[in-house]
Amino acid sequence: MADWSYIPQVLVSGLGIGCVYGLIGIGFCVIYNASGIVNFAQGAFVMLGGMITHTLFARNGVPLPLAALIAIATVALLGVAIERVVVRPLWNRKATMFVMILATLAAQIVVERLTLIAVGDQPKTLPVFTDRPPLMIGGVAIGFQLIWIIGGSLTIVGLLAAFFSLTKTGKAMRACSINREAAALQGIPVSRMLALAFALSAALGAIAGILITPTQYTAFNVGVPFAISGFIAAIVGGFGRPFGAFLGGLLLGLLQALAIVGFGAGLKNVAALSVLLLFLFIRPSGILGAAK
Amino acid sequence: MSRLRLEGVTRRFGGLVAVDNVSFEVPAEGVTAIIGPNGAGKTTLFNLISGSLPPSAGRILFEGADITGRPPAAIAAAGLVRTFQLVKLFDDLSVLDNVKVGCHLRGSAGLFGALLRPASVRSEEAAVDTRARELLAFAGLSAFADEPASGLPYGRQRMLELARAMAAGPRLILLDEPAAGLNTEESAELARIIRRIAEEGTSVLLIEHDMTLVMNTADRVVVVDFGRKIAEGTPAEVRANPAVIAAYLGTGKPARDAAVMASGNQETARG
Amino acid sequence: MTISPAITSPERRPLRLPGLLPWLFAVLVVGYAMVVGGYAATVVSFALIYAVFVTGLNLFMGFAAQVSFGQNAFAAIGGYLSAVLTATYGWSPLPAMVLGIVAAVLAAAIVGYPALRLKGHYLAMGTLAIGLITYEITVEWQSVTQGYMGISGIPPFGIGPYEITSDRGQLILLSLVVAASLFAAARIRRSRFGRALSAVAGSEEAAVALGIDVARYKLAAFLLSAGFAAMAGSLFVHVVGFVSPEVFGLHMVIVTFTMLYVGGIGTVVGPLVGALIVSLLPETFRAFKDYQDLAYGAALILLLIYAPRGLASLFSPRGRS
Repeated sequence: MADWSYIPQVLVSGLGIGCVYGLIGIGFCVIYNASGIVNFAQGAFVMLGGMITHTLFARNGVPLPLAALIAIATVALLGVAIERVVVRPLWNRKATMFVMILATLAAQIVVERLTLIAVGDQPKTLPVFTDRPPLMIGGVAIGFQLIWIIGGSLTIVGLLAAFFSLTKTGKAMRACSINREAAALQGIPVSRMLALAFALSAALGAIAGILITPTQYTAFNVGVPFAISGFIAAIVGGFGRPFGAFLGGLLLGLLQALAIVGFGAGLKNVAALSVLLLFLFIRPSGILGAAK
Repeated sequence: MSRLRLEGVTRRFGGLVAVDNVSFEVPAEGVTAIIGPNGAGKTTLFNLISGSLPPSAGRILFEGADITGRPPAAIAAAGLVRTFQLVKLFDDLSVLDNVKVGCHLRGSAGLFGALLRPASVRSEEAAVDTRARELLAFAGLSAFADEPASGLPYGRQRMLELARAMAAGPRLILLDEPAAGLNTEESAELARIIRRIAEEGTSVLLIEHDMTLVMNTADRVVVVDFGRKIAEGTPAEVRANPAVIAAYLGTGKPARDAAVMASGNQETARG
Repeated sequence: MTISPAITSPERRPLRLPGLLPWLFAVLVVGYAMVVGGYAATVVSFALIYAVFVTGLNLFMGFAAQVSFGQNAFAAIGGYLSAVLTATYGWSPLPAMVLGIVAAVLAAAIVGYPALRLKGHYLAMGTLAIGLITYEITVEWQSVTQGYMGISGIPPFGIGPYEITSDRGQLILLSLVVAASLFAAARIRRSRFGRALSAVAGSEEAAVALGIDVARYKLAAFLLSAGFAAMAGSLFVHVVGFVSPEVFGLHMVIVTFTMLYVGGIGTVVGPLVGALIVSLLPETFRAFKDYQDLAYGAALILLLIYAPRGLASLFSPRGRS
């Protein structure tokens, strides 16, 4: 049944996908911290990251790095658009949290369908960033894309850490997440922080999508599974702690990889969802415990 | 026998001692009031009695039975019902339906009763309707029976909360600042209703800041400050107690309250 | 003893015209479909099945004001059990449906007990996870469910020796089922049980202070909702004759929530009106099949922003019809 000799290989690729889950999870946390909302349109950002990059690269011949940057910027703008059009009106009407989740889920569906209409339902992919044979380290093949994923994710996490602790805007966002009213009284433009949170979260999602697409594919409907995985990462890490979410993502990727070895690839989603339920029922504050 | 007895009840939140070794009895007859400066731990005390919070130490006995740490719904079922400092009405229900919810404990119809509606359930519903309307009349709310509860003016919302609590047929009712936000007329009406409740056999334990109301309705007064009981007795005894007056000394309202108590003049000084 | 009408029959109230309009609408639409038959009858039949599901959803999310993104899981249990038992094992439809409902309610009890202690977005996500896990199981458990291929050749619904094969026959059966469901919802509304649910919705703290066992009532509403969902799932597979995992997937979640909000959350007739409107509207844009989900999503967003208590609440004063 289980071929355990593949474990190191499987764990390494689990780490890779875990980094991606982690980035998405950080996105969830950033928005949650800024607004208390769980943004279920997060998956759409991931999907669009890969999709827009592909469209620019394959259809319009834009060089890959530039296409990626444009895609990230576009998706960030979309994040702000969703905040303005969907979230803000509900926020102003003091809608319940459930209504907000439902609305963001509906927004996800709208984006998904528009993408379907625009590019059709064929899966698309991106070329690997570095076209070289994989590195062999101790019998384990490490593809260059994996190095890009892990390296890229760690770099971003580092940049985020620097942003939140060293820049004025970053510190302002952290202040908002700790106590919105106090932050407003201090003159921090809370509504602009919310838009920024969405932009940042969308960019993170887009980057995650771009990094992972070369190793699998992108299509109009990959958003929701990624969103769920990102959400699970955030819960496992302790909702509200961005860096916990990253760790949660890594853990989830590893657990999922092990589940695939043990039970076959078909049950990987069930494994991930069971992890979610387990944490919700037993330790909703996550591994690190809730922030605040 | 006393209706309610607290023995050494203590509640700590981390390093903060909100309620410190409080012991007193609430007699089965009449109205007992808990007074004390803001932040003295009175609402925490109510939360401990009603079961929303477990005490860190001590015992609470209701009619001789130990209710310490029991869940709130069970304590309510035993006959101890409370109201809240911030009115918690069922906004989407009508005024009448709010009181009918109060009658929940006195009925037993469940899902099958709801669907099949046998004669026993029909007569239970009729009895609930009658009782609810009686209570509305008692609280002066009959005219509003079919209005949504959220549409009531504030003073009447408080009366509704009171009527709803009474619908449960409690033997001890805990009123958390029932007069908060009421004007003089409404407070006087409230005082009359509280006395009637006590006369009809339900023991009343209330927290209040309105000294006039307390002096007019209470048979016994317990004074709490910094989580500790500092005095207990009849209104007259408490009024003259120097420790109580000292606890209330300060600027503004507390000083005027102290003046009301010290002077024994119940007509002056209203917040 | 003076007996006034209000005391002997508490549910009799002066009938107000605006409150009657949704009922009138429903009766007219169903009546029209009954007369015309054919395609119209089929569309309305589907709407009625959804109405059963949404009635259950409304009990949990409207009456008790809880959150569940996963009720489609129970529809899947009811639907697949009916499909497998009747198509593969030759069971008669009615016992299969009953077993499906029992299984769904049991599953709801097992899952609901821990899940309902969650609050806020944790509850939302937990129930979503339940729905998704069930979807995955229907895909993966191929030996029983045939995975993506689905199960076909499901016999039409029947009671004993009577099989219901005609469009009109189905419509009549479903109308009766919906009528019974709405009747049950109305009865629950005006009962001690229903009042307890409303109390849980209004203020859990106050409900508990009045002796209501909040956890038990939440679970009861959850089980009821699961039962309705399973019944709807079972009816669906018999009417269509075919079932696959997609039927009970995320699309169903979005569509049913749209119906709930269009119709009016918390009302009795809301689920029926919402189901009819949402099912009929796309028929006027049949050329735009691809745009359907897009329209649902956009419509739902607009509804949530501008009519959060549902369209029907814009007609009736306070949502209590």
